[in-house]
Amino acid sequence: MPTMRRPYQLTALVLFALSVFVAYESLRLKYYTSLGPGPGFFPLWLSLCLAILSIAMFSQAVSGKSDPRPEDFIDSRLGYLRALAICVAWTWAAAMLERLGYRLTMLVFFPFLLLTLGRVRWYTIVLVTILGSIVTFYVFSIQLSAPLPVGPLDWVFEIIDDLLY
Amino acid sequence: MEAFQYLMDGFAICFQWQYLLFTILGCLVGTIIGVLPGVGPAAGTAMLLPLTFGMSPIASIIMLSAIYYGAMYGGTITSVLVNVPGEAASAITCLDGYAMAKKGRGGSALAIAAIGSFVGGNVATFGLVLLALPLTHFALKFGPPEFFSLMLVGLALAVSLASKSIVRALIAAVIGLLLAMVGIDPVMGAPRFTFGAASLLNGIGIVPIAMGLFGIGELLLTAEGSKSAVINTRLREMWPSWEEFKRSFWPIIRGTGIGFFMGLIPGVGVLVPTFISYAVEKRISKTPEKFGTGMIEGVAAPETANNAYCNAAMIPLFTLGIPGSAVIAIIMGAFMMNGLIPGPFLFKEHPDIAWAVIASFYVGNLILLVMNLPMIPLWVSFLRIPIPILYTLILGFCVIGSYCAENSTFEVGLTLVFGLLGYAFKKLDIPLAPIILTVILGPLMERALRQSLEMSRGDFTILFTRPISAALLGLAVVFVITSLMKMTSQVKEDQEV
Repeated sequence: MPTMRRPYQLTALVLFALSVFVAYESLRLKYYTSLGPGPGFFPLWLSLCLAILSIAMFSQAVSGKSDPRPEDFIDSRLGYLRALAICVAWTWAAAMLERLGYRLTMLVFFPFLLLTLGRVRWYTIVLVTILGSIVTFYVFSIQLSAPLPVGPLDWVFEIIDDLLY
Repeated sequence: MEAFQYLMDGFAICFQWQYLLFTILGCLVGTIIGVLPGVGPAAGTAMLLPLTFGMSPIASIIMLSAIYYGAMYGGTITSVLVNVPGEAASAITCLDGYAMAKKGRGGSALAIAAIGSFVGGNVATFGLVLLALPLTHFALKFGPPEFFSLMLVGLALAVSLASKSIVRALIAAVIGLLLAMVGIDPVMGAPRFTFGAASLLNGIGIVPIAMGLFGIGELLLTAEGSKSAVINTRLREMWPSWEEFKRSFWPIIRGTGIGFFMGLIPGVGVLVPTFISYAVEKRISKTPEKFGTGMIEGVAAPETANNAYCNAAMIPLFTLGIPGSAVIAIIMGAFMMNGLIPGPFLFKEHPDIAWAVIASFYVGNLILLVMNLPMIPLWVSFLRIPIPILYTLILGFCVIGSYCAENSTFEVGLTLVFGLLGYAFKKLDIPLAPIILTVILGPLMERALRQSLEMSRGDFTILFTRPISAALLGLAVVFVITSLMKMTSQVKEDQEV
């Protein structure tokens, strides 16, 4: 029966590396000042704690009886593709929001997710995309005064706005 | 009496139409969140946190609190009608609630759950009213060393109860504390772990961390194994029979007691009181073998305990500034984003806000009772929304929320990073609650410790020589040692096996 031994060993190694990095960064800050502990005091002790805990995790994974690996620890290829689609769509939004503006970015974001997460009829895609990009922009930017980014091509939408309002 | 006078003033504020509207809105949105499987109260509150940005402090905290207890109630609906717990606390309700629904008694199960939640929630809020001022007066005697020790107690409890493995829980707590170190140092003003990025100077905001860990992480997991719910239950009678009322009376009383006392202990988590109250009912029942086949006691007790716990968990937050769970930590984050720090000074400096929020708990519980039962068919209809559409809309909303937090795409990117971290940690069974607790408590703890050391000119014994601080530190050590002993004995047992 597969166990969690290897995942925990790898996690412990990553955490140990992180603790070394944090300790190195902390040592570049002042540890103690005339007023008391400096900015490096807390992080240095925390990095030490993390190092000890990662060693404890590693030794538990090596010596103790590991938990059985849950059935859904490794999912189907399709499942991973769906999760990947969410990451791709989110990265697109993070990269393009300020470059293209909210509406244009989300005109790609919504149909991409709808097409990759499952089967959705074409008119639903159109409806959700318009609702999520154009109507939401109107509600947030104009009704709720939460300014969403505007891009260089937003003049196209402004013409539509002028016609509508 | 002083407390009741303040409470009346609180009612006067929260009955203003705009606050009433936010309470209703919070209950509605919370119930929807509770109904949707995969979006728990922590994820929902985190995702909706940005919605409260433009609001006044009272409105935003009232709404987030209403979302919280609305979500707790919403989870019951799907547990009873679809056998899918909308949130973890309702998992135990599936056993008898769904069995009752199959017998055509789903309506009465939901009605008893609503009545139990109302009783449990209100009794716990009454406890908050009674304890608020005495505890606050006591806490006002605290100096920085006592506050540091108190926060350490909260943290020790949260860590020791958060996970099967104390090592994994401690790792989560240390990671949260390290995340809290990013930004300008609170005492000296020196930048730490910013790597030259101006966006990190103010530290990592609560929105990307909470939304990423709980919201996006959860969506990634559920999208990976996405299954659609099938609704095959019909509601026949909504009102319980007299016999069901009589059988529910004592379970509701016991559930209230269990939920209330568990809520006072930071870190217990909502699962524990619901399971304990179910176990108690089963143990004292004359027909324990019938549990799981549609016993009303199996619905009444855990549902009451669940809501009593949620409201009682506000007591450590309001009086001592200690968040006991992930959702409470997010609500504490909302307080801090509005420039308020929950704890004794909240009652001293902003009594209007503190008491208006407490009064809103009563109003919210009443709204949930009156509004929810007739609207159950509407809530269930949300489950008919196809998963791709639902997730796409939620993700779109999360993009807006994470952007509006600081009006920066840096926060949007950071949310995904924390989403991936939350996804990985869930796979590895590393608890997320200690991370959010320490992110919130970290800066306060660091400030309290450094102020203490300034007071003592660098002498750490200040933490042990002051009686309250020493007692609290002793308590923290006891909690950690007992959970370490528990873990060691478990490892020994495993090795023997």
